[in-house]
Amino acid sequence: MFVYEKKLQYPVRIKNPNPAMAKYIISQYGGPDGELSASLRYLSQRYSMPYPEVKAVLTDIGVEELGHLEMVGTIIHQLTRNMTVDQVEKAGFQDYFVDHTAGIYAQAAGGWPYNAAAFQVKGDVIADLAEDMGAEQKARVTYDNILRMADDPDVIDAIRFLREREVVHFQRFGEAMDIATSKMDQRNVYAVNPAFDKKK
Amino acid sequence: MQNMDSCTYKEGPLPSCAPLAVPMLASQQSSEPAYDSADALAKGTLFPGLDLPFMDYVAAGPVENTPLAELMALDFVCQELALYLDTHPNDAEAFKTWKSFTALAKEGRKRYVEMCGPVKRSDTAKFNSWVWPEDPWPWNSGRKAEKK
Repeated sequence: MFVYEKKLQYPVRIKNPNPAMAKYIISQYGGPDGELSASLRYLSQRYSMPYPEVKAVLTDIGVEELGHLEMVGTIIHQLTRNMTVDQVEKAGFQDYFVDHTAGIYAQAAGGWPYNAAAFQVKGDVIADLAEDMGAEQKARVTYDNILRMADDPDVIDAIRFLREREVVHFQRFGEAMDIATSKMDQRNVYAVNPAFDKKK
Repeated sequence: MQNMDSCTYKEGPLPSCAPLAVPMLASQQSSEPAYDSADALAKGTLFPGLDLPFMDYVAAGPVENTPLAELMALDFVCQELALYLDTHPNDAEAFKTWKSFTALAKEGRKRYVEMCGPVKRSDTAKFNSWVWPEDPWPWNSGRKAEKK
């Protein structure tokens, strides 16, 4: 069950429309390493995860990622509200505008609609946690790349916050991996998959 | 964990011998040192050891002091400590800190709701009419609560 809170995790206050920036930041909404992928990945991986601490990490980070999805949606909304058709044309934003006007649609920067093929639920403890650590790094790099291009301090501030969360989540997934592997057969952690094979 | 005592808050202990082909990341040793809540929110982490920015993209200072930012900061500290506790469930000191911040956040939330409107839908029960749908929603900036 989820309960909505009518506030963001971190303030987003962008004063000036800038569809050129919205064009690439939208990848963190519906792109391969975006917040929707992150949230669905972690919240879906929970069901087969056998260890309580790891279930908690997947739940609490998965829910926070939904909050980040809302922040990225807010960034795109504020970058495209009050924009003129002239700004749309100058920014090369026509491809998006013709299909979605100033609405927020889950797609990658290249225009591909959101695709769950961007993430995995392998149903294996080590494989899933290794994917999660990789996912946090890929999202961190996407934010690094956004910071390289963004030139509005209002946008940079929110992106910088989101990027730092990837670093913290990477640490927690690493610790979750350590907790999980320490509960496995220490002579060979690959002897069985504790998410599937019954304990003897 | 032989070298635990010699690690700083930016480091964590690793065994001197470790099995091959097992992913290992140094565990955070303590929830201290920690930033104060306003700085933690601005930096995106409560923990100086995890504060690893890209190039020179660092927070200009604490987030502007508004009723909303104050509540965000308290909730953020609770979230950071909760994630820490998920992987350190036996850290009694961190649990104590989390409990005290949860109490502060509850108080802060009460003050905020009285001043600015419902945060959770159930907060609407404190009002005389169904004010839940009223603007502003979080994606509209310039909320009353964002002003001093």
